[in-house]
Amino acid sequence: MRRRTLPFILGFLAPAAMLYVGLVLWPLIQTFRLSLFTTSGLSSKVNYVGAKNFERLAADEAYRQTLSNGLWMLVVSGVFLIAGGVALAHLSVGNQRTARALRATILIPQVMSLVVVAILWMFLFNPSFGPVDAIVRLMKIEPPRSGWLGDPGTALPSVTAAFIWYALGFYALLFTAGLRQIPEEIGEAAELDGARGWFRFRKITWPLLWSVKRIAVTYVVINVMNVFALVQIMTTGGPDRSSESLLTYLYEQGFRNSQFGYAAAIAVANFLLAMILSLGVLFWFRRSPEVGRR
Amino acid sequence: MKFLRVAIVALMVLAIIGPLVWVAMNSVKTNTELFGSPWSPPKVLAWDNFSRGWNEIGARSFVNSMIATVATLVFLLPIGAMAAYIFAKFPFPGRGTVYALFLGGMMFPNFLVAIPLVLLYRDLGLLNTMHGLVLAYVAYSLSFTIFVLTGFFQAIPDELREAAEIDGGSPSRTFWTVMFPLVRPGLVVVGIFNAIGLWNEYPLAMVLLSGENSTLPLGIASMAMAQNYRADWTGLFAATLIAMVPVLIVYLKFREQLQEAMVAGAVKG
Repeated sequence: MRRRTLPFILGFLAPAAMLYVGLVLWPLIQTFRLSLFTTSGLSSKVNYVGAKNFERLAADEAYRQTLSNGLWMLVVSGVFLIAGGVALAHLSVGNQRTARALRATILIPQVMSLVVVAILWMFLFNPSFGPVDAIVRLMKIEPPRSGWLGDPGTALPSVTAAFIWYALGFYALLFTAGLRQIPEEIGEAAELDGARGWFRFRKITWPLLWSVKRIAVTYVVINVMNVFALVQIMTTGGPDRSSESLLTYLYEQGFRNSQFGYAAAIAVANFLLAMILSLGVLFWFRRSPEVGRR
Repeated sequence: MKFLRVAIVALMVLAIIGPLVWVAMNSVKTNTELFGSPWSPPKVLAWDNFSRGWNEIGARSFVNSMIATVATLVFLLPIGAMAAYIFAKFPFPGRGTVYALFLGGMMFPNFLVAIPLVLLYRDLGLLNTMHGLVLAYVAYSLSFTIFVLTGFFQAIPDELREAAEIDGGSPSRTFWTVMFPLVRPGLVVVGIFNAIGLWNEYPLAMVLLSGENSTLPLGIASMAMAQNYRADWTGLFAATLIAMVPVLIVYLKFREQLQEAMVAGAVKG
């Protein structure tokens, strides 16, 4: 039996393995190797420089700016996506008209290309015909003179707003699945004990969503680190790098300036950052509430 | 309480649908009308926006996006299903590690490997070719596809496979005639989900294609970035609508499968 199935196993894994190793894992390893070299322009000549790229990165003001932009976006969108996701999940379970309407619409942004989302929000923020200016003027606030996307103070928040609009449906769906996982007996027991409303949410639902919260936070980290198209199209990172993201900066160094080695070092740094943040999330949420909370 | 619920839901629905309706409305206005009265419905229907938008993004990129999406699925689904079948049903030494390596691809942004990939493609002469793009799309969609399909194969009872093999089928014959058709619901779920992702894909296409070969997202992105020096806003509104409509139709038709794919990828992942 064994001798007959081994060739079968290898044969069935081979196509996937070849593509995956050749086009995903191999380039990933190459990224690490390339980060120790410098390249000159488009020629294939490479020079080994050791940790030079990383020393340069550590002193790079622009990279520091992208990190702080990323952190800002992580915190702000994290709060909105998780609070909003939990709230919308509560509104979208059940069979009322409102719940069905919400379920039908909430994932629409998710199926749109981020390119389309970026253009849509460029329309919305447009200073001549965009509704954001009009709404803000109704509230007697003067919109920024160089436009929402052209002002260093509002560019990053504007991109973040577009990001939240795009991503919220996914988090609502995630928490809806989480609410469905809570055993019915717990809800019934809470009902009998008279636990209702906000109190029930805080003492029962919120702690029980523990594992979903961990997944959600991990996803916020990954999604924010992945932001590329929105920034690239809406602001190209500007003005003055005020909305630069990790990947738009990597793209600029690698493909605009053809500094492959330096861009690879940025990629490695981003990769390590993602690992550290994900491990941090695992550590932060390591304890399940059933074992007793803090 | 009920009032609050209705108010919040109405606001959310408006925040999602409102901008789309507004885009549709402005896509048939003239530029003067757009700037003069961006809120009112169009007075005359300027259908030529669509022909301008269509010409600007190019019929070619629309066709290219079609090719990239369909060709990727044609290769991805059988290849992914074969691997998933092994992971689900055939224990072999080191299976856990190999499986974990495959799933690792879901965790990091593709862009982190973009530079070596482009260098590799340059050496292989695959840059700026559609088959090169399709190969990369298959490779980068494998993780999610294998992950979801493994779950579907695990749900099939072992007895079914054993019965088929006793009937004299070789393992691969059993797979193609019995197992592959049995996971059709799974293939639909990952197929729809991947199709939308591929249709919308931007970063990989951006670094692997250039010049005359472009996809729909590349086409409208460059059109949007050209607005700074050559403003044809209504044409861009029309082009945006052209890019949006196909996925919206798929969404309306396959909402449940899409949700299933998203939840499967998220909650268990």
